[in-house]
Amino acid sequence: MGFIEINLNFGENTSLLAPFIAMISIVWVFLVYYSYKKYGTKKTIMYFLPIIIATLLIESAGVAGGRYYYPGYIIYLSVVGGAVPLIIILAWSVNLFLFMYMGKYFISKVYQKQNYIQIILISLAAGVFGVCLDLLEDPIAHYNNWWIWETSLNGIKFFNVPILNFIGWFVLIFFMSVATLLIERSRFSENRKVLLSISSLAITGSAIFIFHALIVRLFEFVGLS
Amino acid sequence: MEKTIVQFILDNIFLFLPLGITGIVVTIILFFLPKQEATPKYEDVKTDFITIFKIRLNIYVLVYLFIWIIMVIIGVLSNFFIPTLIGGIIAAVPLVLLIILEHRTNNSKVS
Repeated sequence: MGFIEINLNFGENTSLLAPFIAMISIVWVFLVYYSYKKYGTKKTIMYFLPIIIATLLIESAGVAGGRYYYPGYIIYLSVVGGAVPLIIILAWSVNLFLFMYMGKYFISKVYQKQNYIQIILISLAAGVFGVCLDLLEDPIAHYNNWWIWETSLNGIKFFNVPILNFIGWFVLIFFMSVATLLIERSRFSENRKVLLSISSLAITGSAIFIFHALIVRLFEFVGLS
Repeated sequence: MEKTIVQFILDNIFLFLPLGITGIVVTIILFFLPKQEATPKYEDVKTDFITIFKIRLNIYVLVYLFIWIIMVIIGVLSNFFIPTLIGGIIAAVPLVLLIILEHRTNNSKVS
């Protein structure tokens, strides 16, 4: 099994996958181009590359762990034993950039001070916006087999999608937004910010890991998982 | 038996631990290297606007609206009406919130 895998049976066992992929592609190209024009190359790398690396690891671990899988896509990437479609990784990079800037726009209207509290508020808003959109997207994706959750999974579900998935979305977007904003507003040079955004994934990843593990334990404790 | 991502990482800790330690060490080194300070520039969110048919819209709200419309269309074409309706209403909350907030801010500026 290589790092890149090609599937020649595009759309097998799925329905309406092509419009979904087209939508992500359009949004990704538009936002990367917009970010490049407005913020420059280095900031664009800082916004998009860390989340691509983080979600490649997380999604690959999710597939390798047998919780869900992605049928019918063309290009798959595999890093820890689970094949994840390239377009899903690109979609995650759009998620972070989009929700973080929506959070910035929203919070800038209600809290103008540029301090740590504002960073937390922006990240909370970004996480909530992300979950709101995923509550529409994930059930449709599961229904059309764009990704399939194992039916044997226990716990509360929202139209066959485990609630822990939505908590995972919030935790990932929240912590990645905090890290991105802290680095963005630091006084380091642009080159160092890019390097920090990638290396600090180890710290952000550890925080996400610990927080998510605690929530899973809490769910198990109260019998929801 | 499927595993959560946390369980998977714990089972493969010898793969993830070196990656994590390397990242933490590099981050600490980058933090304590002599600083080449740059004044932080705070961006002006007011420039993220576009005017379509005399309606002033935030770029990010517009992209969110585009995703929302496409997902609702796909949900309806899939004959998956109730989850699309419920999910669509929840996903519209950020849109409504941001549009109302923008409207109120503009009104308060005028008055």
